[in-house]
Amino acid sequence: MSASGSIKVTIGDVSFDNPVFLASGPAGYGEEYADFVDLQRLGGIVTKTVTYEPKAGNPGTRLQETRGGLLNSVGLENVGAGVFFGEKLPGLLDNGIRPIVSLAAEDWDGYRRLLDAAAGAGEIDIVELNLSCPNVDRGGMAVGTDPRMISRYVGHAKDILSGTAVIAKLTPNVQDIGRLALAAEEAGADAITAINTIVGMDIDIHAKRPVFKRIRAGLSGPAIFPVALEAVWRIVNTVDIPVIGVGGIDSVDDALKFFMAGAAAVQVGTAIFYDSRLPEKIITELEKNGIPASINRGGA
Amino acid sequence: MGACLQTVPVSFRAEDRYDQSLGRLFLPGSMIDRGVEGDRLAGIEKGLFSAEVAGNEKLSPACRLIRFARPEGFPDAKPGHFVSVRVNSFSVPLLRRPYSIMDLTETELLLLVKVVGPGSRLLAEAAVGDRMDIAGVLGGTVFPSPAGEDAVFVGGGTGLAPMIFAARTWKREGNTGNSYLIHGAATSEELLGTFCESDFTKVFRSTMDGSEGYDGDAVSYLQSLLNDDTISGSKLYSCGPAGMVKALELKVSTRFDSHYTSLEAVMACGVGACRGCTVPLREEDGRKLRAVCSDGTVFDASQIAWEDWE
Repeated sequence: MSASGSIKVTIGDVSFDNPVFLASGPAGYGEEYADFVDLQRLGGIVTKTVTYEPKAGNPGTRLQETRGGLLNSVGLENVGAGVFFGEKLPGLLDNGIRPIVSLAAEDWDGYRRLLDAAAGAGEIDIVELNLSCPNVDRGGMAVGTDPRMISRYVGHAKDILSGTAVIAKLTPNVQDIGRLALAAEEAGADAITAINTIVGMDIDIHAKRPVFKRIRAGLSGPAIFPVALEAVWRIVNTVDIPVIGVGGIDSVDDALKFFMAGAAAVQVGTAIFYDSRLPEKIITELEKNGIPASINRGGA
Repeated sequence: MGACLQTVPVSFRAEDRYDQSLGRLFLPGSMIDRGVEGDRLAGIEKGLFSAEVAGNEKLSPACRLIRFARPEGFPDAKPGHFVSVRVNSFSVPLLRRPYSIMDLTETELLLLVKVVGPGSRLLAEAAVGDRMDIAGVLGGTVFPSPAGEDAVFVGGGTGLAPMIFAARTWKREGNTGNSYLIHGAATSEELLGTFCESDFTKVFRSTMDGSEGYDGDAVSYLQSLLNDDTISGSKLYSCGPAGMVKALELKVSTRFDSHYTSLEAVMACGVGACRGCTVPLREEDGRKLRAVCSDGTVFDASQIAWEDWE
């Protein structure tokens, strides 16, 4: 794209003014960051993952900084479908913010009810299925590591949410994330988001026990950027639908690398904690010099 | 440090707030909060500021007082509020570091810093003229004023900071009650000297290793001071390690009308979004996980589910 050209991006039938989104999780429902970030300027905000029933999240320690990264075990704490569709989502829309609604389910029945609630909400043109959270016992990564389950979940979303673009967010905690992406594409997904957090852990040497009650936690932050970049490269070579790069973006340059790997858009997650205006810096760069062309000619 | 990390309330509706008496000044995400409190509330607003280091003083072998010139437009703050400091422009260390406000005047923002890791080390080594990115003012609740009654403050380690801010603020407001500070530290290296003596009616110091002051923990010291009628008060305020605050609540708080504490926690966002700094509270309709950063940092200590809080 030329420097003077548009930096709009289209996913499914949904158009965004620019390809820079806030990733699901760190930024909550967006509103919490209203004083730090020009939310209307962002291409969109992937909202904190919502489940049908409210979730209290995990007990005990939830955060642990690592070298260049952050382990979290929040456990999909969220307000539930009722409050989300009734209060949070209208709030975003009323303020001119473009939400991408992140959905997750603990089981098939909950998933069906959640999709029915989303369909009834009426104002949703795009969703991101969180098929990859490592911090819950059911749903999440337990679903998202199996291509057959991905196919089932994506297919049902396409059936229920007619006219709504469906993005599948995938886990890197598998042998070949490309296989998961292919399953999602074949089931009708309009785009792939990669990656979710990488499974890790830490030990408290004084207490002589794991830091997190669930032992394992999800690693995000700059430490995982190379893993995310490789995953995007691989998926771009595997599927034809757009790929949204997320994982460890720490600078404008990191975002440019995702585009060069073939990503159609990027999401900023953990960096919002320490460099809240990074998404706006990326947008400014893209407006000035355009979106870098992909250099990805295969080799996966 | 005094204040703590962040989290997000389950709902922003005012009636869901666990205690309206704490002087909540704003709701997280007030811009688009559509709850009963309406649009952006009057009072505290948050922002990102570039702040210049105006002073760096050694208070003890382990602790430093960092003075920032108050940036243009920096919001006012109340005792219990905190700021979150990005100590350099790289990503190592990664996260901002939350610090209780030790004082905020028309010209300066004061933070109390003890070196516990790379983040606090970089802040402690700041030179006059350095600039740092500060997010503030953060926090959803503040310490309620003693309203003229006698008050006891217990500050463990750098938990002293919000105790000083409270004492100074209320003195400026003309509060006339006595104020007693018990400041406890692990060793004399971490024990802070005489710099805050004029802020309180009287200051008592203790060290866990007995190297200076009372030989023992701050809670035991407070018990003995109450037992021999050296001090008394109806309001108890605290900030410090969880073990200290828990012991205060379980062993001493019945001697006071109230006990409010500013919790310390590891935080990522500081504004209630990431849900990383939750504390279990006993509320009327059951146990709730609340965000230390945005539902606190100040809590009624009797509502904390101490059996589940480390």
